[in-house]
Amino acid sequence: MSIQIDHVTKKFGNLEAVKDVTLEVKTGEFFTLLGPSGCGKTTLLRSIAGFNQPEKGEIYFNKKRVDKIATHKRGIGMVFQNYAVFPHLNVFNNVAYGLKARNFSADEIQPKVSRALQMVRLAGMEDRFPNQLSGGQLQRVAIARALVIEPQVLLMDEPLSNLDAKLRVEMRSEIRELQQSMKITTLYVTHDQEEALSISDRIAVMNHGVVEQMGEPWEIYNTPVNRFVAGFIGTTNFFEGTLISEQGGQGIVQVSEIKMKVSAHSPCVGEKVSFAIRPEAFKVAQEITEAERSCFLSLPGRVNKVEYLGFMTKYDLELCRGLSVKVVSYDVLPQHLRKTGETIELCYDPQRVLIC
Amino acid sequence: MKSRFWSLTTILIFLIFFFFMILPVLNLFTGSFQTQEKGAFTLQNYLSFFHYPSYWRSLWNSILIGLISAAGAMIVGVPMGYMVSRWNVMGKSLIVTLSTLPLMLPTFIAAFAWVILLGRGGIITKFLQTWGIHIGSIYGYPGMILVFVSQLYSYVFLMTLSGFSAVDESIEEAGCSLGSSQLRTFWTVSLPLVLPTILSGAILTFMSAIENFGVPMIIAQQTPNLVVKAYIEFTSEVGTHPGMAYTLSIFLILITMASLVAQRYYLSKRNFIQAARGKPKVKQLTPGKRLLASGIIYAFLIFTLIPFFVALVLSFMEMRGPVFYPRFSLQSYVYAFSRSARPIFNSYFLATISTLVAVLIGVPTGYILTRRKSAYSNALDIVIMLPFVIAGTILGIALITFFNQGWIVLTGTWVILVLSYVIRKMPFIARSSASILYQLDPSLDEASISLGVSPMKTFYKVTFRLMMGGVVSGAILSWVTIISELSSTLVLRSPSWSTMTVEMYQGVVSDDLGKAAAFSSIMIISTVIPLLLATKYFSKDKGGGILL
Repeated sequence: MSIQIDHVTKKFGNLEAVKDVTLEVKTGEFFTLLGPSGCGKTTLLRSIAGFNQPEKGEIYFNKKRVDKIATHKRGIGMVFQNYAVFPHLNVFNNVAYGLKARNFSADEIQPKVSRALQMVRLAGMEDRFPNQLSGGQLQRVAIARALVIEPQVLLMDEPLSNLDAKLRVEMRSEIRELQQSMKITTLYVTHDQEEALSISDRIAVMNHGVVEQMGEPWEIYNTPVNRFVAGFIGTTNFFEGTLISEQGGQGIVQVSEIKMKVSAHSPCVGEKVSFAIRPEAFKVAQEITEAERSCFLSLPGRVNKVEYLGFMTKYDLELCRGLSVKVVSYDVLPQHLRKTGETIELCYDPQRVLIC
Repeated sequence: MKSRFWSLTTILIFLIFFFFMILPVLNLFTGSFQTQEKGAFTLQNYLSFFHYPSYWRSLWNSILIGLISAAGAMIVGVPMGYMVSRWNVMGKSLIVTLSTLPLMLPTFIAAFAWVILLGRGGIITKFLQTWGIHIGSIYGYPGMILVFVSQLYSYVFLMTLSGFSAVDESIEEAGCSLGSSQLRTFWTVSLPLVLPTILSGAILTFMSAIENFGVPMIIAQQTPNLVVKAYIEFTSEVGTHPGMAYTLSIFLILITMASLVAQRYYLSKRNFIQAARGKPKVKQLTPGKRLLASGIIYAFLIFTLIPFFVALVLSFMEMRGPVFYPRFSLQSYVYAFSRSARPIFNSYFLATISTLVAVLIGVPTGYILTRRKSAYSNALDIVIMLPFVIAGTILGIALITFFNQGWIVLTGTWVILVLSYVIRKMPFIARSSASILYQLDPSLDEASISLGVSPMKTFYKVTFRLMMGGVVSGAILSWVTIISELSSTLVLRSPSWSTMTVEMYQGVVSDDLGKAAAFSSIMIISTVIPLLLATKYFSKDKGGGILL
């Protein structure tokens, strides 16, 4: 079952929460709507679920228009941020709830519920009541309850945001495995970029009600189309300067007091350029080869701050007055560690510069 | 379609309140500016009010008694609330249950019993006289304050208890860590945090005291308050002054309205109490101190319940006229029943019908207030607050005047009694439903709908099921308070629709004390048993549900 969203606009009063969004989720795909809070991702998900009615646009499940159909007839499964497990029903009856609504007989319900609970590793918990379960277990009940009705579309609204960090990482890979084994079309909403990158087939990054970029996780990370996406996904250093020369696709940009190399492709000499470099795209001192040193422009940086995290080290470096960059260096040997006030030589491949 | 259903319900509720409360009260207001015969505009009633001391003194009496009662309730309720919250006194849930009883039991029974004990010919008074000790008169202020403080202190006590139990432990620890002593922390941190909650309780005590009718009727004598004065002006055999009764009513409404506004818009905004993350520490007293603290609390609780024991015991005694003899007898019951069991039936019938109607209207209202928020629901929220500021007697006078003539005549029927009960209890049901709904996550409904259950069925299968416990206990509390309702009943009843409260009251005023004691006892039993059932089966919603 695929989902087509065709020019959907949803307003709350004068506020356009979702502005003319068009996207398609392919059959069996794990698709994530990613964005800061208030970007419209949950509103869009709720439009697809039918909890709100878009002012404009159409929504299709497999070419069949559904936006005028009541929620309970859309055949969706939904997992909520705060679990929404019925407090007056035990685990078994929570999971059986949707099956009963579909008039399955007790003989059919029993094995289906057992299988669903096994899937989320809650077998044997049938008689527990929600107030006896932990947050992680509640979310498993909610997932089992949504999956047992074999929905054609699974909608998940920040399902992990109420869990603690460790459990979140565990659960997200479980969700991914479940989704893969059932081949269920899934639309997932989160504000956590790491979660989105790790779990999704494709991601739509949203901001202020519009989709800024759509693509596979590596595309979103490595080739952000604009400053918002570059800044929202991962950490980035932004630079602004003037292109002072250009030769064979390589440009030199005057940024404050220093010159930086970029692989320019658009602006003409004399024009303003803004670009971004990821912290891990920088190479530090001893990592730089002779070939790189001769080919790329190397920069001296004064260490303002060091954060030693074991497997990696974060530096705040000052390239010149008023221009600092964040640099990440992995697996630094003790003799290469630099202290505050010392100077480090930096280098980067202009190919990894993101023009934006 | 579903939104139209709720719009229609909203309109219907508005119409009910407009027609059966707002219009009658407005009618009262205009009536206070009209001459009795021709209905021409006049300020005479207001001029008389300020001219004759017997009128303006009643206003003064109302305010003063309300203030003293509220202060008394704080003197008792605040230390008691603090002790139960922070010290390891014995049997805390028993204390809470016993303290809610006086709020639910009819206050005029307490007044009646205290008169029997301490009145002119009272049992204790006479006993002391034989020893040559003369206690002062309990009629007037002393008696009213005694009854109000001992029956209404729980508003302050329960609020203080929940307030001190909700102060986050770390806030007090922060005070101490900054070098403040425990005592200083109490005065500078804990008490200011809880004070708005305490004052809310005090305002509830104040309002209940000045709206109360039965207690001053029995015990006030030379110092009648506004309610009593309005009732007398309205029903006096010597010659009624309805215009004056309306004027007195308007003054009463103004006071109660000011109190409610203070409570709602001033105090509730200063409510700092949040769900505590760390529950405050309970101080472990030494066994001796623990016994002493518990002893004091239980002694006071027993003191507040004495009147009800007295009424029960007296009902099983032999009596001649106003004099009781210490011999077991069922004479009072035989006498009360032999004349007619009708008042008992009436009380049960009216309470049951009214409760059902109040639930039927109140639960959807609570739903509209929480789940269908709009400009209309905000207006509805204000409208259903109005019955809190209109004393039963005043509503009675308003209804009987308004439905006396014209196209709908209800005066003298049981319907008008039900109307007044529904108007007064429905807001209570609506509020308690709304507070349950606030705690229910709306995504529970959505989860059910997403699983293929229609919105209508979802309401029944999820929302309604989850609300039921709270609604049933709210209904029981309403039922119980209707059983013991006297103020509007006395104005609205007709001879064939007399209730237990009316019979009991008439027993008191006609010195037929055996009858009064018998009906009091039946009422106490009818109140306590449902309450105990409610606390046993729905104990989650104790305390909080009884208050606004």
